[in-house]
Amino acid sequence: MKQANAVVLATVLATGALARAQPAPPDPSGSAAGSPSIPAAPAASPPGPATAPAPAPATGDPATAGVPGAPADPDGLISGQPDTPLDPYAAAAAPARRGPPKPPRPPLDFPEVLTTPTGWLLPAGVLYSKDAIDTGGGVTSDNRVGLGDVAEFGVATTDQVRERQTMADKPERIQPYITASFRLGIAENRLFDQQPGVTLGFRKSFERNHDDEKTRIAELTLVASKHLGKRAALHVGGALWDASLQSTVTEPGQAPPPEITLHGHDYKNQIRPFGGFEARPLPRSEILIDLGWAPEFCYQCADTDKIKLRPELSWGVRYEVARFMHLESGVRVPDIGNFNLLDAQIFGQVTFTSFALKGAVDSLK
Amino acid sequence: MQRVLGLLLAIAVIAGAARAEADPPSGDPAPVAPEDGPNTTPPATGHDARAVSLGTLFRGPFHSSRLFAMPSADVVGAYILSLSGEGSLLEQPGVLTSAGVIAIGFGDIAQLEYRHTEAIGITGLDAPVPAVGVQLKLPIPEHSGVPAIGIAFRLGVPRGELQDGHELDETVTDLYLVGRLRFAGAPWLTLHGGTRISSAKAVPGSDPALATQRTLILPTAGYELAMTDTSKIIGEISLAPQFQWMPDATPATAPQIRRGLLGRLGMRWRILPSVIFDGSLGYQVDDAAPTAGFDAVVSWDIRLGAEVFVPWGALACRAVGVFCE
Repeated sequence: MKQANAVVLATVLATGALARAQPAPPDPSGSAAGSPSIPAAPAASPPGPATAPAPAPATGDPATAGVPGAPADPDGLISGQPDTPLDPYAAAAAPARRGPPKPPRPPLDFPEVLTTPTGWLLPAGVLYSKDAIDTGGGVTSDNRVGLGDVAEFGVATTDQVRERQTMADKPERIQPYITASFRLGIAENRLFDQQPGVTLGFRKSFERNHDDEKTRIAELTLVASKHLGKRAALHVGGALWDASLQSTVTEPGQAPPPEITLHGHDYKNQIRPFGGFEARPLPRSEILIDLGWAPEFCYQCADTDKIKLRPELSWGVRYEVARFMHLESGVRVPDIGNFNLLDAQIFGQVTFTSFALKGAVDSLK
Repeated sequence: MQRVLGLLLAIAVIAGAARAEADPPSGDPAPVAPEDGPNTTPPATGHDARAVSLGTLFRGPFHSSRLFAMPSADVVGAYILSLSGEGSLLEQPGVLTSAGVIAIGFGDIAQLEYRHTEAIGITGLDAPVPAVGVQLKLPIPEHSGVPAIGIAFRLGVPRGELQDGHELDETVTDLYLVGRLRFAGAPWLTLHGGTRISSAKAVPGSDPALATQRTLILPTAGYELAMTDTSKIIGEISLAPQFQWMPDATPATAPQIRRGLLGRLGMRWRILPSVIFDGSLGYQVDDAAPTAGFDAVVSWDIRLGAEVFVPWGALACRAVGVFCE
């Protein structure tokens, strides 16, 4: 008997507790005002921002509450969410949203294919950082910021500049070779429909003292980029290269050796075309290929051969890990002109983009 | 059996109690006022700086009185202080040229300033020469196609420049007459043009008798293309005095003063109403080295600069109650 009483008591208590844990049933009248356990929705919206959403119905689906045309879901069966009493003042206490909702950011067009510039600029205030390593021991970094949607400034280290003592020697890279760049341009479709993005870019190195030689490089580029549908883009441009080389070794009583420059010879040695192609076979993956040029110094060669431009071919893949992070990997052939694939390097690089500065500037406004 | 039932009972009671605590309290809660609702107070629109917020004071509008180097037919405005500076990143390592301007506006038609004016030194660099000056804007009503006129006088302060251990004092005093032209049909375009009458003087420190002075008439022109609400592309081209000297020449020769061509193409981005950012690439040709022409890209440079406007009159009004009229 005692056991039966205990079972009955336990059953009653457990049932009561479980019943207490269940949500309250909906008010048959459709109004929660009379429910003692559910706070009534205020007749008028509490004082608050005009953009604050209206309080959700007490027994509705919070995900669809207040949405015109959303189906009623009094018991939560449609949404699959358990009905829970809602705090009618939660909306009032939520932080105020100022202004209309921001549209989603369009995908970022990168300022470089792999090694050559594009006709696209970073948006105003957007930070860009690309760090790369390759199997040749090269380590580079490229950091840029978009200026006012019409320009871009950056500081980078490059390992594309190479040196050799004589033509018979194997060229070796000079690194780090620090450059600064400034690009100015017009966004794609800005002036008229189907207008390609166009940028005028200038990149110049700081003076580099290496092996008793003082070198500098500079590059003026004009490039146009055009999307071909949603999955491809083409880049075509021309570059006006310049470089200088001067020995820092001065014989006693002698004047310093003259400075050898690329512009001191035929201008045809300075002008080079370049370009690239992008294809996006998958939503987050791109195949990239580009052809560019890089200067090479030969210290013991004749004056006309001391500074040469070598063609450089690169191809690879860019994968979007996240909106702010891209991974790139591929192959770069520093001098495709001699078809020496033994010099080819496999590189990997990671690119970060950030809208933090843009957001900070916008918030200050 | 009893233990199992007791355990089930305890679990059920605890679960029920916990569920009940998560529920909102029954009954009508007291109304909660929003923590930070929108500011329903209308913004102050009076002219008294004490009645507006600090942020409102820095919203301007502010106007720059220059392109990159040439003055424009504008002044920074009454009770406004303009601080600007720029630097060349790449001339040569260790020789990062810089230039700055401090300008104070008076009466919406004039400004006093201390600035670095453009001149090409004996080392071939576009090295700014300090000057103090006054800039005036003629009070002519602005109409489409009718230029605004500005006059700027910059009194040069000597700058010492060393070459091979010899010092040369360079002074450049300028009188600018500039115009600014806008068109109602092309509000995105602003044209600038003018003439710089420059009196340049070079005095060798070792032999002042070899001093040279020359007056040059130097045209200057520029344009602005508004690209967005906050950014514009600016181009500028001008002639500038260029000093040349061979201190070790035998017999000793006097310095020479010639003309050099300076060009600048860049952008101006108004980051905030009171802060603008300049970036440009510069090109320089001098008639002393004709081989170094347009294709000498290695001698081009990149310049970055900024200008900050400070409404000092309004700040003084807020701080100590002066200049509030």
